[in-house]
Amino acid sequence: MSLFEKFQSTAAQYYALREETGRDPFGVSMDEMKGPTRAMVDGKEIVLAGTNNYLGLTFQDDAVAAAKTAVERSGTGTTGSRFANGTYAAHRQLERDLADFLGYKHCIVFSTGYQANLGAISALARPPEDVILIDADCHACIYDGCQLSGAETVRFRHNDPESLDKRLKRLGAEVKGKLVCIEGMYSMFGDVAPVGEFVEIAHRHGAYVLLDEAHSFGVFGDGGRGVCERDGVLQSVDFYTGTFSKSLASIGGFVASNHPELEYLRFSSRPYMFTASPSPANIAAAGAALEKISSDPSLRERLWDNAKRIHAAFTQLGFELCAPASPVIAAKLANREQAFMAWNFLMENGVYVNLAIPPGTPNATSILRLSVSAAHSDEDLDVVVSAYTALSEALSQEQR
Amino acid sequence: MSGIQEDDDLVFRKVCSLLDALNDKGVKLTRETDLIADLEIDSVSVLDIVMDIEDNYDISIPVNTISEIKTIGELVDAIHTIKKEQS
Repeated sequence: MSLFEKFQSTAAQYYALREETGRDPFGVSMDEMKGPTRAMVDGKEIVLAGTNNYLGLTFQDDAVAAAKTAVERSGTGTTGSRFANGTYAAHRQLERDLADFLGYKHCIVFSTGYQANLGAISALARPPEDVILIDADCHACIYDGCQLSGAETVRFRHNDPESLDKRLKRLGAEVKGKLVCIEGMYSMFGDVAPVGEFVEIAHRHGAYVLLDEAHSFGVFGDGGRGVCERDGVLQSVDFYTGTFSKSLASIGGFVASNHPELEYLRFSSRPYMFTASPSPANIAAAGAALEKISSDPSLRERLWDNAKRIHAAFTQLGFELCAPASPVIAAKLANREQAFMAWNFLMENGVYVNLAIPPGTPNATSILRLSVSAAHSDEDLDVVVSAYTALSEALSQEQR
Repeated sequence: MSGIQEDDDLVFRKVCSLLDALNDKGVKLTRETDLIADLEIDSVSVLDIVMDIEDNYDISIPVNTISEIKTIGELVDAIHTIKKEQS
Protein backbone atom coordinates (compact mmCIF):
# COMPACT_ATOMS: atom_id res chain seq x y z
CA MET A 1 0.00 0.00 0.00
CA SER A 2 1.60 3.25 -1.08
CA LEU A 3 0.79 6.91 -0.60
CA PHE A 4 0.96 7.31 -4.34
CA GLU A 5 -1.36 4.52 -5.42
CA LYS A 6 -4.40 6.79 -5.61
CA PHE A 7 -2.75 8.95 -8.29
CA GLN A 8 -1.99 6.13 -10.66
CA SER A 9 -5.05 5.95 -12.89
CA THR A 10 -5.10 9.73 -13.44
CA ALA A 11 -1.34 9.77 -13.99
CA ALA A 12 -1.51 6.99 -16.58
CA GLN A 13 -4.23 8.84 -18.52
CA TYR A 14 -2.32 12.10 -18.34
CA TYR A 15 1.03 10.69 -19.44
CA ALA A 16 -0.54 8.73 -22.29
CA LEU A 17 -2.04 11.90 -23.76
CA ARG A 18 1.21 13.79 -23.25
CA GLU A 19 3.19 11.06 -24.96
CA GLU A 20 1.11 11.31 -28.12
CA THR A 21 2.02 14.91 -28.80
CA GLY A 22 5.19 15.46 -26.81
CA ARG A 23 3.58 18.50 -25.24
CA ASP A 24 2.13 19.00 -21.77
CA PRO A 25 -0.95 21.25 -21.75
CA PHE A 26 -0.71 21.60 -17.97
CA GLY A 27 2.99 22.36 -17.87
CA VAL A 28 3.60 24.96 -20.60
CA SER A 29 6.52 27.24 -19.85
CA MET A 30 6.35 30.79 -21.15
CA ASP A 31 10.08 31.05 -21.78
CA GLU A 32 10.04 34.76 -22.50
CA MET A 33 7.17 37.24 -22.28
CA LYS A 34 6.97 39.56 -25.29
CA GLY A 35 4.11 41.66 -23.93
CA PRO A 36 0.61 41.05 -22.57
CA THR A 37 -0.46 38.90 -25.54
CA ARG A 38 2.71 37.20 -26.80
CA ALA A 39 5.29 34.79 -25.39
CA MET A 40 8.10 32.58 -26.60
CA VAL A 41 7.35 28.88 -26.08
CA ASP A 42 9.85 26.26 -27.26
CA GLY A 43 11.59 28.83 -29.45
CA LYS A 44 8.39 29.96 -31.16
CA GLU A 45 6.35 33.13 -30.66
CA ILE A 46 2.82 32.29 -29.52
CA VAL A 47 -0.32 34.44 -29.23
CA LEU A 48 -1.64 34.13 -25.67
CA ALA A 49 -5.38 33.56 -25.81
CA GLY A 50 -5.74 31.54 -22.64
CA THR A 51 -4.97 33.98 -19.82
CA ASN A 52 -7.09 36.12 -17.52
CA ASN A 53 -5.45 39.34 -18.66
CA TYR A 54 -8.81 40.75 -19.72
CA LEU A 55 -7.78 44.40 -19.80
CA GLY A 56 -4.20 43.62 -20.82
CA LEU A 57 -2.64 45.81 -18.14
CA THR A 58 0.29 43.57 -17.16
CA PHE A 59 2.74 45.75 -19.10
CA GLN A 60 0.92 49.06 -18.69
CA ASP A 61 3.45 51.88 -18.14
CA ASP A 62 1.99 53.35 -14.94
CA ALA A 63 1.54 49.91 -13.33
CA VAL A 64 5.11 48.88 -14.19
CA ALA A 65 6.49 52.20 -12.89
CA ALA A 66 4.46 51.97 -9.68
CA ALA A 67 5.67 48.41 -9.04
CA LYS A 68 9.31 49.45 -9.61
CA THR A 69 9.03 52.39 -7.24
CA ALA A 70 7.35 50.21 -4.59
CA VAL A 71 10.20 47.68 -4.70
CA GLU A 72 12.77 50.45 -4.37
CA ARG A 73 10.97 52.13 -1.47
CA SER A 74 9.43 49.20 0.41
CA GLY A 75 11.46 46.16 -0.58
CA THR A 76 10.80 42.93 -2.43
CA GLY A 77 8.58 41.25 0.16
CA THR A 78 6.81 41.93 3.45
CA THR A 79 7.98 38.70 5.15
CA GLY A 80 4.89 38.62 7.34
CA SER A 81 1.12 38.35 7.48
CA ARG A 82 -1.44 41.15 7.46
CA PHE A 83 -2.07 40.25 11.10
CA ALA A 84 1.55 40.85 12.13
CA ASN A 85 4.21 42.92 10.33
CA GLY A 86 2.79 42.60 6.79
CA THR A 87 0.36 45.52 6.70
CA TYR A 88 2.00 48.56 5.10
CA ALA A 89 0.37 51.92 4.42
CA ALA A 90 -0.04 50.81 0.79
CA HIS A 91 -2.16 47.78 1.78
CA ARG A 92 -4.50 50.04 3.75
CA GLN A 93 -4.60 52.59 0.95
CA LEU A 94 -5.54 49.95 -1.63
CA GLU A 95 -8.34 48.72 0.66
CA ARG A 96 -9.73 52.26 0.78
CA ASP A 97 -9.34 52.71 -2.98
CA LEU A 98 -11.15 49.46 -3.75
CA ALA A 99 -13.96 50.30 -1.31
CA ASP A 100 -14.29 53.78 -2.84
CA PHE A 101 -14.32 52.40 -6.38
CA LEU A 102 -17.14 49.99 -5.50
CA GLY A 103 -18.95 52.47 -3.28
CA TYR A 104 -18.60 50.12 -0.27
CA LYS A 105 -17.65 51.05 3.26
CA HIS A 106 -15.17 48.26 4.05
CA CYS A 107 -12.58 46.20 2.25
CA ILE A 108 -9.94 43.66 3.25
CA VAL A 109 -7.00 42.72 1.02
CA PHE A 110 -5.86 39.09 0.97
CA SER A 111 -2.77 37.52 -0.60
CA THR A 112 -4.63 35.86 -3.49
CA GLY A 113 -8.17 35.72 -4.85
CA TYR A 114 -8.29 32.07 -3.81
CA GLN A 115 -7.54 33.08 -0.24
CA ALA A 116 -10.10 35.89 -0.28
CA ASN A 117 -12.91 33.38 -0.88
CA LEU A 118 -11.33 30.74 1.32
CA GLY A 119 -10.86 33.28 4.10
CA ALA A 120 -14.26 34.92 3.89
CA ILE A 121 -16.37 31.75 3.63
CA SER A 122 -14.46 29.75 6.24
CA ALA A 123 -14.69 32.58 8.76
CA LEU A 124 -18.30 33.60 8.09
CA ALA A 125 -20.02 30.22 8.27
CA ARG A 126 -19.59 27.96 11.26
CA PRO A 127 -21.04 24.53 12.05
CA PRO A 128 -23.46 23.43 13.26
CA GLU A 129 -25.74 26.46 13.13
CA ASP A 130 -24.87 27.99 9.73
CA VAL A 131 -25.55 26.69 6.22
CA ILE A 132 -23.77 27.61 2.98
CA LEU A 133 -25.59 27.36 -0.35
CA ILE A 134 -23.38 27.33 -3.44
CA ASP A 135 -23.94 27.36 -7.17
CA ALA A 136 -22.94 23.93 -8.49
CA ASP A 137 -20.36 25.45 -10.86
CA CYS A 138 -18.61 27.58 -8.26
CA HIS A 139 -14.81 27.72 -8.37
CA ALA A 140 -12.69 25.31 -6.33
CA CYS A 141 -11.80 28.06 -3.84
CA ILE A 142 -15.47 28.41 -2.88
CA TYR A 143 -15.79 24.64 -2.40
CA ASP A 144 -12.57 24.68 -0.38
CA GLY A 145 -13.85 27.60 1.71
CA CYS A 146 -16.94 25.55 2.55
CA GLN A 147 -14.82 22.57 3.48
CA LEU A 148 -12.51 24.65 5.67
CA SER A 149 -15.51 26.20 7.42
CA GLY A 150 -16.98 22.77 8.12
CA ALA A 151 -20.50 24.20 7.86
CA GLU A 152 -23.25 22.24 6.12
CA THR A 153 -23.02 22.99 2.41
CA VAL A 154 -25.83 22.57 -0.11
CA ARG A 155 -25.40 22.91 -3.89
CA PHE A 156 -28.06 24.38 -6.13
CA ARG A 157 -28.34 24.08 -9.90
CA HIS A 158 -26.03 26.34 -11.85
CA ASN A 159 -27.47 29.78 -12.60
CA ASP A 160 -30.92 28.60 -11.49
CA PRO A 161 -32.54 31.00 -8.98
CA GLU A 162 -35.56 28.70 -8.55
CA SER A 163 -33.27 25.86 -7.49
CA LEU A 164 -31.78 28.14 -4.80
CA ASP A 165 -35.26 29.22 -3.72
CA LYS A 166 -36.30 25.58 -3.20
CA ARG A 167 -33.24 24.80 -1.12
CA LEU A 168 -33.64 27.90 1.04
CA LYS A 169 -37.28 26.93 1.68
CA ARG A 170 -36.21 23.45 2.84
CA LEU A 171 -33.91 24.78 5.57
CA GLY A 172 -35.15 24.19 9.09
CA ALA A 173 -35.84 26.88 11.69
CA GLU A 174 -32.73 25.82 13.63
CA VAL A 175 -30.47 27.30 10.92
CA LYS A 176 -29.04 30.61 12.10
CA GLY A 177 -26.83 32.04 9.37
CA LYS A 178 -27.36 31.39 5.64
CA LEU A 179 -24.65 32.29 3.16
CA VAL A 180 -25.33 32.07 -0.60
CA CYS A 181 -22.23 31.92 -2.83
CA ILE A 182 -22.35 32.75 -6.53
CA GLU A 183 -20.02 34.16 -9.17
CA GLY A 184 -20.51 36.98 -11.67
CA MET A 185 -19.02 35.41 -14.77
CA TYR A 186 -17.96 31.76 -14.56
CA SER A 187 -14.38 31.14 -15.61
CA MET A 188 -14.69 27.99 -17.69
CA PHE A 189 -17.71 28.68 -19.94
CA GLY A 190 -17.83 32.48 -19.64
CA ASP A 191 -21.53 32.35 -18.76
CA VAL A 192 -23.00 35.03 -16.56
CA ALA A 193 -25.18 34.70 -13.44
CA PRO A 194 -28.58 36.39 -13.01
CA VAL A 195 -27.11 38.14 -9.98
CA GLY A 196 -30.10 40.45 -9.45
CA GLU A 197 -32.53 37.52 -9.14
CA PHE A 198 -30.21 35.60 -6.82
CA VAL A 199 -29.81 38.60 -4.51
CA GLU A 200 -33.57 39.13 -4.35
CA ILE A 201 -34.29 35.48 -3.49
CA ALA A 202 -31.47 35.22 -0.94
CA HIS A 203 -32.53 38.35 0.91
CA ARG A 204 -36.19 37.27 0.88
CA HIS A 205 -35.08 34.21 2.88
CA GLY A 206 -32.84 36.21 5.20
CA ALA A 207 -29.65 34.87 3.60
CA TYR A 208 -26.43 36.80 2.95
CA VAL A 209 -24.93 36.88 -0.55
CA LEU A 210 -21.25 36.39 -1.29
CA LEU A 211 -20.59 37.28 -4.91
CA ASP A 212 -17.26 36.44 -6.53
CA GLU A 213 -16.58 38.88 -9.36
CA ALA A 214 -13.05 37.56 -10.02
CA HIS A 215 -13.62 37.25 -13.76
CA SER A 216 -16.13 40.08 -14.16
CA PHE A 217 -14.48 42.92 -12.20
CA GLY A 218 -13.31 45.54 -14.71
CA VAL A 219 -15.25 43.75 -17.43
CA PHE A 220 -19.00 44.09 -16.73
CA GLY A 221 -21.10 47.09 -15.69
CA ASP A 222 -20.92 50.67 -16.97
CA GLY A 223 -18.11 51.45 -14.54
CA GLY A 224 -16.44 48.03 -14.64
CA ARG A 225 -17.78 47.09 -11.19
CA GLY A 226 -18.98 43.69 -12.27
CA VAL A 227 -22.17 41.83 -13.08
CA CYS A 228 -23.87 43.19 -9.94
CA GLU A 229 -23.39 46.70 -11.30
CA ARG A 230 -24.88 45.60 -14.62
CA ASP A 231 -27.87 44.14 -12.74
CA GLY A 232 -28.31 47.27 -10.61
CA VAL A 233 -27.66 45.46 -7.30
CA LEU A 234 -24.10 46.59 -6.57
CA GLN A 235 -25.09 47.97 -3.18
CA SER A 236 -27.19 44.95 -2.20
CA VAL A 237 -24.40 42.37 -2.29
CA ASP A 238 -23.30 41.48 1.24
CA PHE A 239 -19.79 40.30 0.44
CA TYR A 240 -18.15 41.25 -2.84
CA THR A 241 -15.00 39.21 -3.51
CA GLY A 242 -12.43 39.76 -6.22
CA THR A 243 -8.90 39.13 -7.33
CA PHE A 244 -5.93 41.19 -8.49
CA SER A 245 -4.77 38.46 -10.84
CA LYS A 246 -7.15 39.12 -13.71
CA SER A 247 -8.19 42.64 -14.77
CA LEU A 248 -6.00 44.16 -12.04
CA ALA A 249 -2.95 42.49 -13.61
CA SER A 250 -1.18 41.59 -10.36
CA ILE A 251 -1.71 38.99 -7.63
CA GLY A 252 -3.82 39.31 -4.50
CA GLY A 253 -7.50 39.36 -3.60
CA PHE A 254 -10.11 41.28 -1.66
CA VAL A 255 -13.47 41.15 0.08
CA ALA A 256 -15.59 44.30 0.22
CA SER A 257 -18.77 44.83 2.23
CA ASN A 258 -21.03 47.44 3.74
CA HIS A 259 -21.32 45.36 6.91
CA PRO A 260 -18.95 46.86 9.50
CA GLU A 261 -18.57 43.32 10.89
CA LEU A 262 -16.36 42.52 7.90
CA GLU A 263 -13.51 43.77 10.10
CA TYR A 264 -13.98 40.68 12.33
CA LEU A 265 -12.31 38.66 9.58
CA ARG A 266 -9.00 40.32 10.42
CA PHE A 267 -8.79 38.29 13.63
CA SER A 268 -10.79 35.21 12.68
CA SER A 269 -9.92 34.31 9.08
CA ARG A 270 -7.06 31.84 9.00
CA PRO A 271 -6.18 32.39 5.31
CA TYR A 272 -5.80 36.10 6.16
CA MET A 273 -3.86 35.64 9.38
CA PHE A 274 -1.48 32.82 8.57
CA THR A 275 0.08 33.74 5.26
CA ALA A 276 2.39 36.52 4.11
CA SER A 277 0.73 39.67 2.77
CA PRO A 278 1.00 40.68 -0.90
CA SER A 279 4.39 42.20 -1.80
CA PRO A 280 4.69 45.99 -2.19
CA ALA A 281 5.10 45.57 -5.97
CA ASN A 282 1.88 43.53 -6.22
CA ILE A 283 -0.06 46.13 -4.24
CA ALA A 284 1.35 49.03 -6.24
CA ALA A 285 0.60 47.38 -9.59
CA ALA A 286 -2.97 46.54 -8.56
CA GLY A 287 -3.49 50.12 -7.37
CA ALA A 288 -2.22 51.55 -10.65
CA ALA A 289 -4.41 49.15 -12.65
CA LEU A 290 -7.44 50.13 -10.56
CA GLU A 291 -6.74 53.76 -11.35
CA LYS A 292 -6.56 52.91 -15.06
CA ILE A 293 -9.83 50.94 -14.92
CA SER A 294 -11.65 53.82 -13.24
CA SER A 295 -10.35 56.44 -15.66
CA ASP A 296 -10.29 54.66 -19.02
CA PRO A 297 -13.55 53.03 -20.19
CA SER A 298 -12.05 52.51 -23.65
CA LEU A 299 -10.28 49.39 -22.31
CA ARG A 300 -13.62 47.72 -21.69
CA GLU A 301 -14.92 48.81 -25.09
CA ARG A 302 -11.90 47.31 -26.82
CA LEU A 303 -12.25 44.09 -24.79
CA TRP A 304 -15.90 43.67 -25.76
CA ASP A 305 -15.23 44.47 -29.43
CA ASN A 306 -12.58 41.75 -29.43
CA ALA A 307 -14.87 39.29 -27.63
CA LYS A 308 -17.70 39.86 -30.13
CA ARG A 309 -15.36 39.49 -33.08
CA ILE A 310 -14.01 36.13 -31.89
CA HIS A 311 -17.41 34.83 -30.81
CA ALA A 312 -18.90 35.67 -34.22
CA ALA A 313 -15.95 34.12 -36.08
CA PHE A 314 -16.10 30.87 -34.08
CA THR A 315 -19.87 30.65 -34.47
CA GLN A 316 -19.45 30.98 -38.21
CA LEU A 317 -16.80 28.25 -38.21
CA GLY A 318 -19.37 25.96 -36.61
CA PHE A 319 -17.82 25.52 -33.17
CA GLU A 320 -20.21 24.66 -30.39
CA LEU A 321 -19.72 27.52 -27.93
CA CYS A 322 -20.63 27.33 -24.25
CA ALA A 323 -22.15 30.79 -23.78
CA PRO A 324 -23.11 34.02 -25.54
CA ALA A 325 -20.28 36.46 -26.33
CA SER A 326 -18.15 37.33 -23.29
CA PRO A 327 -14.39 37.63 -22.75
CA VAL A 328 -14.26 33.87 -22.15
CA ILE A 329 -15.14 31.91 -25.27
CA ALA A 330 -15.16 28.17 -24.69
CA ALA A 331 -15.59 25.68 -27.52
CA LYS A 332 -16.86 22.17 -26.79
CA LEU A 333 -15.01 19.20 -28.19
CA ALA A 334 -16.25 15.63 -28.47
CA ASN A 335 -14.10 14.16 -25.68
CA ARG A 336 -10.83 14.46 -23.76
CA GLU A 337 -8.72 12.97 -26.54
CA GLN A 338 -10.12 15.23 -29.24
CA ALA A 339 -9.77 18.29 -27.00
CA PHE A 340 -6.17 17.38 -26.27
CA MET A 341 -5.33 16.96 -29.95
CA ALA A 342 -7.13 20.22 -30.80
CA TRP A 343 -5.19 22.06 -28.10
CA ASN A 344 -1.93 20.75 -29.51
CA PHE A 345 -3.00 21.68 -33.04
CA LEU A 346 -3.59 25.28 -31.94
CA MET A 347 -0.16 25.41 -30.26
CA GLU A 348 1.41 24.25 -33.52
CA ASN A 349 -0.47 27.05 -35.23
CA GLY A 350 0.87 29.66 -32.80
CA VAL A 351 -2.03 30.02 -30.34
CA TYR A 352 -2.13 29.17 -26.64
CA VAL A 353 -5.56 28.53 -25.12
CA ASN A 354 -6.55 26.61 -21.98
CA LEU A 355 -7.39 22.94 -22.24
CA ALA A 356 -10.04 22.05 -19.68
CA ILE A 357 -11.24 18.52 -19.13
CA PRO A 358 -13.39 16.72 -16.53
CA PRO A 359 -13.63 16.80 -13.56
CA GLY A 360 -12.42 20.41 -13.78
CA THR A 361 -15.29 21.38 -16.07
CA PRO A 362 -19.07 21.50 -15.66
CA ASN A 363 -21.21 18.67 -17.08
CA ALA A 364 -18.13 16.52 -17.81
CA THR A 365 -17.38 18.51 -20.97
CA SER A 366 -13.99 18.81 -22.64
CA ILE A 367 -13.35 22.35 -23.80
CA LEU A 368 -10.84 24.74 -25.26
CA ARG A 369 -11.15 27.87 -23.17
CA LEU A 370 -10.12 31.01 -24.99
CA SER A 371 -9.99 34.39 -23.33
CA VAL A 372 -9.72 37.68 -25.15
CA SER A 373 -7.87 40.73 -23.91
CA ALA A 374 -8.23 44.43 -24.57
CA ALA A 375 -4.54 44.23 -25.47
CA HIS A 376 -5.12 41.78 -28.33
CA SER A 377 -4.30 43.62 -31.56
CA ASP A 378 -6.22 42.94 -34.75
CA GLU A 379 -3.15 41.04 -35.90
CA ASP A 380 -3.22 38.83 -32.74
CA LEU A 381 -6.84 38.01 -33.41
CA ASP A 382 -6.12 37.27 -37.08
CA VAL A 383 -3.64 34.61 -35.93
CA VAL A 384 -6.30 33.19 -33.56
CA VAL A 385 -9.03 33.08 -36.20
CA SER A 386 -6.79 31.48 -38.82
CA ALA A 387 -5.64 28.81 -36.33
CA TYR A 388 -9.26 27.99 -35.44
CA THR A 389 -10.20 27.96 -39.13
CA ALA A 390 -7.48 25.37 -39.77
CA LEU A 391 -8.65 23.44 -36.69
CA SER A 392 -12.25 23.35 -37.86
CA GLU A 393 -11.10 21.98 -41.24
CA ALA A 394 -8.96 19.36 -39.52
CA LEU A 395 -11.86 18.31 -37.29
CA SER A 396 -14.29 18.01 -40.18
CA GLN A 397 -11.77 15.90 -42.13
CA GLU A 398 -11.43 13.65 -39.09
CA GLN A 399 -15.21 13.11 -39.14
CA ARG A 400 -15.22 12.04 -42.78
CA MET B 1 -32.58 -0.85 -15.95
CA SER B 2 -30.68 -3.85 -17.12
CA GLY B 3 -28.01 -4.26 -14.45
CA ILE B 4 -30.13 -3.55 -11.40
CA GLN B 5 -30.41 -6.13 -8.68
CA GLU B 6 -33.90 -6.98 -7.48
CA ASP B 7 -34.81 -4.91 -4.43
CA ASP B 8 -38.18 -3.79 -3.13
CA ASP B 9 -36.72 -0.51 -1.86
CA LEU B 10 -38.11 2.20 -4.14
CA VAL B 11 -35.32 4.65 -3.26
CA PHE B 12 -32.75 2.03 -4.22
CA ARG B 13 -34.51 1.47 -7.53
CA LYS B 14 -34.71 5.22 -8.19
CA VAL B 15 -30.99 5.74 -7.45
CA CYS B 16 -30.12 2.83 -9.72
CA SER B 17 -32.23 4.20 -12.55
CA LEU B 18 -30.37 7.52 -12.30
CA LEU B 19 -26.98 5.80 -12.16
CA ASP B 20 -27.81 3.56 -15.11
CA ALA B 21 -27.20 6.45 -17.50
CA LEU B 22 -23.57 6.57 -16.35
CA ASN B 23 -23.07 2.83 -16.08
CA ASP B 24 -21.12 2.52 -19.32
CA LYS B 25 -19.49 -0.77 -18.37
CA GLY B 26 -22.79 -2.43 -17.46
CA VAL B 27 -21.72 -3.11 -13.88
CA LYS B 28 -24.35 -4.94 -11.82
CA LEU B 29 -25.78 -2.40 -9.41
CA THR B 30 -26.11 -3.58 -5.82
CA ARG B 31 -26.10 -1.87 -2.45
CA GLU B 32 -22.38 -2.68 -2.25
CA THR B 33 -21.45 -1.07 -5.61
CA ASP B 34 -18.78 1.61 -5.03
CA LEU B 35 -19.80 4.71 -6.98
CA ILE B 36 -16.32 5.90 -7.88
CA ALA B 37 -14.27 2.67 -7.88
CA ASP B 38 -16.80 0.35 -9.57
CA LEU B 39 -18.70 2.73 -11.82
CA GLU B 40 -15.63 4.85 -12.59
CA ILE B 41 -17.57 8.11 -12.37
CA ASP B 42 -15.85 11.19 -10.99
CA SER B 43 -16.77 12.97 -7.77
CA VAL B 44 -18.40 15.86 -9.64
CA SER B 45 -20.73 13.49 -11.51
CA VAL B 46 -21.75 11.98 -8.17
CA LEU B 47 -22.67 15.47 -6.96
CA ASP B 48 -24.73 16.05 -10.11
CA ILE B 49 -26.67 12.80 -9.66
CA VAL B 50 -27.38 13.80 -6.09
CA MET B 51 -28.96 17.01 -7.39
CA ASP B 52 -31.41 14.93 -9.45
CA ILE B 53 -32.18 12.88 -6.35
CA GLU B 54 -32.75 16.08 -4.33
CA ASP B 55 -35.26 17.39 -6.84
CA ASN B 56 -36.98 14.04 -7.10
CA TYR B 57 -37.57 13.75 -3.33
CA ASP B 58 -37.66 17.48 -2.52
CA ILE B 59 -34.85 17.14 0.01
CA SER B 60 -31.39 18.70 0.34
CA ILE B 61 -28.40 16.42 0.77
CA PRO B 62 -25.41 18.40 2.04
CA VAL B 63 -22.07 18.10 0.23
CA ASN B 64 -20.57 17.13 3.61
CA THR B 65 -22.80 14.02 3.68
CA ILE B 66 -22.10 13.10 0.06
CA SER B 67 -18.34 13.21 0.55
CA GLU B 68 -18.63 10.43 3.13
CA ILE B 69 -20.71 8.20 0.86
CA LYS B 70 -18.93 5.44 -1.03
CA THR B 71 -21.55 2.87 -2.02
CA ILE B 72 -25.05 2.88 -3.47
CA GLY B 73 -26.32 1.42 -0.19
CA GLU B 74 -24.86 4.30 1.82
CA LEU B 75 -26.44 6.80 -0.57
CA VAL B 76 -29.83 5.10 -0.28
CA ASP B 77 -29.58 5.06 3.52
CA ALA B 78 -28.65 8.75 3.58
CA ILE B 79 -31.71 9.58 1.44
CA HIS B 80 -34.00 7.64 3.81
CA THR B 81 -32.54 9.46 6.83
CA ILE B 82 -32.80 12.91 5.28
CA LYS B 83 -36.32 12.23 3.98
CA LYS B 84 -37.40 11.53 7.57
CA GLU B 85 -35.61 14.61 8.95
CA GLN B 86 -36.88 17.03 6.34
CA SER B 87 -40.44 15.78 6.01
